[in-house]
Amino acid sequence: MIFKIAFKNVWRNKVRSLIVIAAVTLGLAGGIFTASIITGMVEQKIRTGINNEVSHIQLHHPAFLRNYESRYVIPDAAAVAARISKMASVKALCSRTRITGMAASPNAAAGIQIVGVDPEQEKQVSTLHLAIPDSCGSYFTGTRKNQVVISHKLADKLKIRLKSKIVIRFQNTDGNLTEAAFSVSGIFQTANTAFDETNVFVRKHDLDQITGSDNGIQEIAVMLLDIDNIPVAEAALKSMLPGLDVENWMEIRPDMGMISSAIAIEVYVILGIILFALAFGIINTMLMIVFERTHELGMLMAVGMSKSRVFRMIMMETIFLTTIGGVIGMSLSVALVAWFQRYGIDMSSVSKGLGAFGFDPKIYPFISTKFYINLTVMILCTGILSAVGPARKALKMNPVEAIRVE
Amino acid sequence: MNIIEIKDLTKVYDAKTIPVYALNGVDLAFREGEFTSIVGPSGSGKTTLLNLMGGLDTPGSGEIVIDHTDITRLKSRKLIEFRLRNIGFVFQSFNLIPVLTTKENVEFIMQLQGVDKAKRDHRTLELLASVGLGDKINVRPNKLSGGQQQRVAVARALASKPKFILADEPTANLDSKSAENLLEIMEKLNREENITFIFSTHDPRVVAKARRVITLEDGKISGDITKN
Repeated sequence: MIFKIAFKNVWRNKVRSLIVIAAVTLGLAGGIFTASIITGMVEQKIRTGINNEVSHIQLHHPAFLRNYESRYVIPDAAAVAARISKMASVKALCSRTRITGMAASPNAAAGIQIVGVDPEQEKQVSTLHLAIPDSCGSYFTGTRKNQVVISHKLADKLKIRLKSKIVIRFQNTDGNLTEAAFSVSGIFQTANTAFDETNVFVRKHDLDQITGSDNGIQEIAVMLLDIDNIPVAEAALKSMLPGLDVENWMEIRPDMGMISSAIAIEVYVILGIILFALAFGIINTMLMIVFERTHELGMLMAVGMSKSRVFRMIMMETIFLTTIGGVIGMSLSVALVAWFQRYGIDMSSVSKGLGAFGFDPKIYPFISTKFYINLTVMILCTGILSAVGPARKALKMNPVEAIRVE
Repeated sequence: MNIIEIKDLTKVYDAKTIPVYALNGVDLAFREGEFTSIVGPSGSGKTTLLNLMGGLDTPGSGEIVIDHTDITRLKSRKLIEFRLRNIGFVFQSFNLIPVLTTKENVEFIMQLQGVDKAKRDHRTLELLASVGLGDKINVRPNKLSGGQQQRVAVARALASKPKFILADEPTANLDSKSAENLLEIMEKLNREENITFIFSTHDPRVVAKARRVITLEDGKISGDITKN
């Protein structure tokens, strides 16, 4: 009964209620959409970073990551890779040689990380091969020796183009200085400028032939079937391979992990601020309603409606107002996010700025289901907390005095 | 048998500054089936007396015993519950809930009492028929005339099967025809079902119909006449 009266009371002044509902709707929809853009940008950055750069988990010799010295290889890497590939949660893995070196063209030189890969194995783990446009070559096609895939950024720096020759100098695992000429067979571009500037990719086989010996495997990169399995898989790998350094993407790239954690909190803060501001509007409206209905509330208490029922009635009216706006706002945001998730938001006009921070110029908003569930709880709490003040005002009324009010 | 006994009832406003005795040592008793009006000039204490009898206000001193219960000793929650089950109210301004229909306004009281739906529906239709509004059950108050709204208020007051009904100036906002109509219905309910009505009124038509007239002046009983 109180439920019915409260719901009907919400529509007593349709214009006023619709204004409050519209405010809640637009405030929430705007806030959620903003949050989805921020989350989408970060998710994209992380996804690109994982797919192109770090994978879900990486394994190294414990001493390798200190100074990136190539002599610290993973012992018996083939056997290790075979054991890892048997894990049910593993989708794919690849073994890489990593050597610090120098790339030189007739015009310039640059310090680089030479990544020696098995291209077919690498394609199972990394999507870097998809970052090479058709007009910029390919990812190790054909049998030609000494192909190198570099970034657009590095190509600009060295003032070279597709099919240009560069000399790559490096120290092999025995500490001997070696150099060889490579032909640029593909030019990639990712959103991460720092990654692009430093990494060049060659066939491991070509590297080994140049040095005349196996340069070893300094890195095994693992992709799992489900990113949520990382903690379990990481623990299993650490247990299985205690002599190796096992790290997940957040540990390898703490900046990415930090952004992810910070954004997760930030979106709630944004919505919390919006709800806090909306609460004032709701409280103001409900106080007006209680004041306008002083006479009626006095009558209700006079005929025998208990104070707790009056309190519940005002609470429910407030919660209805808030929840209706909340539901419509969330529904609107779901539609907006779905639309832009499909077509993206083109921010190419500021792509340089975004690229400097590792963000794609085309943004695909994203909001998780868990966020909507948590937001529903926040909306309900806002409604309840907004209701307390007006409901208490109603309780303080003296029925005798309230009935006298016109 | 007395259903209401009032002993030495006093109500003082502004006791600490300039005390105003709204009621000053009032002694009264009401029997079941009375049709009584309380009259007096403005400020004589009529509304105060009705509010105290209805448990809406607390006296400075004295007793109000309704059906063996001294309501002046009841705590707030128990008093509300007592009002719900024992006292019916008809106010000057009809005081229907505007968002509910006629039927919903009447059954509202029974819902507060926890009466089951079947009984509620039956009694509601019965009450509305007894006040001549059997064909207006699904109409909202804003579609009813003043007289019709007041009749719904009477039906609502009866819904809880109260010991008595307190009506504070029930005809004040009605035209003469509606007022006459309302009084006839109340008289009929009093005559046929022995329902006790106690009015606070200035309306001579109400006074004329009342079988007992209590006169208040300056918070004291100055007259108490029972007509034959």
